[in-house]
Amino acid sequence: MTRNQRICFAVFFLLMIPVPWLLGPFMTQIVILVITSGMLALAFTHTLKCGLLRFDIAGWWAVGGYTTAVLTTKYGVSFWLSMLIGGLIAVAIGYLIFIVAIPRGMIAFFMVGMVVAMIITQVFSASEYFGGWGGIANIPPPSIGSFQFISKPSLYYLGLALLALQLFVLLLLYNSRIGRAWSAIGGGLKLAKSLGIDIVKYRMVNVLVGNFFLALLGSYYAAYSLSVSPMSFSTGVSINVMVAVLIGGMFHSISAPFIGSAILYFIPEYLRSTGEFSSIILALITIFIILFMPMGLLGLFDRWVMPLIFRLTKRYPPGMQPA
Amino acid sequence: MTLGLFTQILVNGLIMGGIYAMVASGFTLTLGVVKIFNFAQGQFYMLGAYVCFGVVTALGMPYPVALLASFVSMFLLGALFYFGVIHKTLASGFFHTWLITVSFGTIIGQGALLTFGNKAGVMPAVIEGAYNIGGVIIPQGKLLVIGGAIIIMVALYYFMRTKIGTSMLAAAENVGVAGLMGINATQVFWVTTAVGCALCGFAGGLIAPVFAASLFMGQTILMKALFVVMVGGMGSMSGALIAAFLVGIAESFGFQYVGQWDLILIFGFIAVLLYFKPGGLIGKPLPLPGE
Repeated sequence: MTRNQRICFAVFFLLMIPVPWLLGPFMTQIVILVITSGMLALAFTHTLKCGLLRFDIAGWWAVGGYTTAVLTTKYGVSFWLSMLIGGLIAVAIGYLIFIVAIPRGMIAFFMVGMVVAMIITQVFSASEYFGGWGGIANIPPPSIGSFQFISKPSLYYLGLALLALQLFVLLLLYNSRIGRAWSAIGGGLKLAKSLGIDIVKYRMVNVLVGNFFLALLGSYYAAYSLSVSPMSFSTGVSINVMVAVLIGGMFHSISAPFIGSAILYFIPEYLRSTGEFSSIILALITIFIILFMPMGLLGLFDRWVMPLIFRLTKRYPPGMQPA
Repeated sequence: MTLGLFTQILVNGLIMGGIYAMVASGFTLTLGVVKIFNFAQGQFYMLGAYVCFGVVTALGMPYPVALLASFVSMFLLGALFYFGVIHKTLASGFFHTWLITVSFGTIIGQGALLTFGNKAGVMPAVIEGAYNIGGVIIPQGKLLVIGGAIIIMVALYYFMRTKIGTSMLAAAENVGVAGLMGINATQVFWVTTAVGCALCGFAGGLIAPVFAASLFMGQTILMKALFVVMVGGMGSMSGALIAAFLVGIAESFGFQYVGQWDLILIFGFIAVLLYFKPGGLIGKPLPLPGE
């Protein structure tokens, strides 16, 4: 991590710690939902960094959630172990599927991802073992010693710890040799090939890291809602995540997911009075954003605000000095 | 298994195969030429069925007119779709065009829900009779669907041999060079998008008298179309036709024997097939965007 990233990381988490006292229980619950959605979107932008669009977010999220649900209710395994096992299962199945999909390129990966997400939901709803359409209820809450993570603030801190872990690992990776290879692949396939980067291998590592974190998030979701059902892992989740990334700005891989998720969570609250027209209005808003601000809110910020800041502080980033 | 049941399942599989062939070739054409992933095609299929239903029951027109109406109306809506939203977005890339089609599909789906309500559009059968071959009964209405699907696929085959069809293939290979050869890219793109949507509308119109039109019929059709595209190879019309009948029959028999697990088994077979033949069964695949 660079020095600026370390400072931002520390300041952000120091600001997030007193949230349950400042905002009250209702807002804490909303912040939990925003953080969860933001972490899903973080996995999306993570894979977008190496030029792949993933449509299978809800699928791997479901794998994690169902692993925790089955292991804790039927076999009495502790939550923390089931979290790890879910991550490993998502990585193993993902490897078997993506070894076919990734060499065929971006569109094939996207199509296979869409089908895989639907098939995973289909497996969970068709099988009696996973509880059919009703899903699995009465998942025991995670605990350390005698302390149970059941109140909203404790679940909030669990989510915040998960977010810190994910951000920490991702930032370490982005500043390493692997992360630079991902950026090169995202910048241009021919460029990356000319540098001698094995594209399939690096993309595979990227996607599997994403899979692991998605499964961890699934376990967290199971601990939060204490029940899982196929309906909560539908394709709509993946689409919402992508709309959030679009609103935030697709080239800001760390901050855009959270800004977009927060906005996407509050838009439906204001649209509630419109009743059944709300999803049409949301779709119209999405079309409007794509047509008139394709780089999202942070793209607007880059275009209009950053040049002003550079001019006022007289400190230009390399390559942007005025003639 | 009795011969009657076997024939019944086979005919149902062939019907769905014909429908999948039309939707999948529309999909793969749009993806190969315009380089957009049209997520709204399921909604166009649903809307085509409702147009057919409405023209027959509300206006009292004969069925062929209704079928033509669903084809033409979906062609026009597809053209509107292209010029309204897609044309300005093409420069932004695959992610943006894809989200545009998702949003457009949502608008169509929700609009249909508000307009038609949550009831199925049951329309009268087109032909009442049935063939009786040695005790095996085949309804003529179902044969009509298979025949219609094969006719439209043959028509599409010859359409791809015309000037505009070959321009589409040229634009699929390389838009820049096609432009140098005097091909108008915008014209090719809007025709391709509209033809893709019209094929879906026609499929919806064909299926409406057999299975009733419902709001949810468009939700899984795109996944089946993706199966067909994966098996048949991207951009290959003959591959799409054969693969569609394979997927339709496999799904029909699978549903009879393994119930809800049919799609999972089909996906397993496709994954194994793709491992050994990454380009699909037949045909030279069209070049994909982004690579």
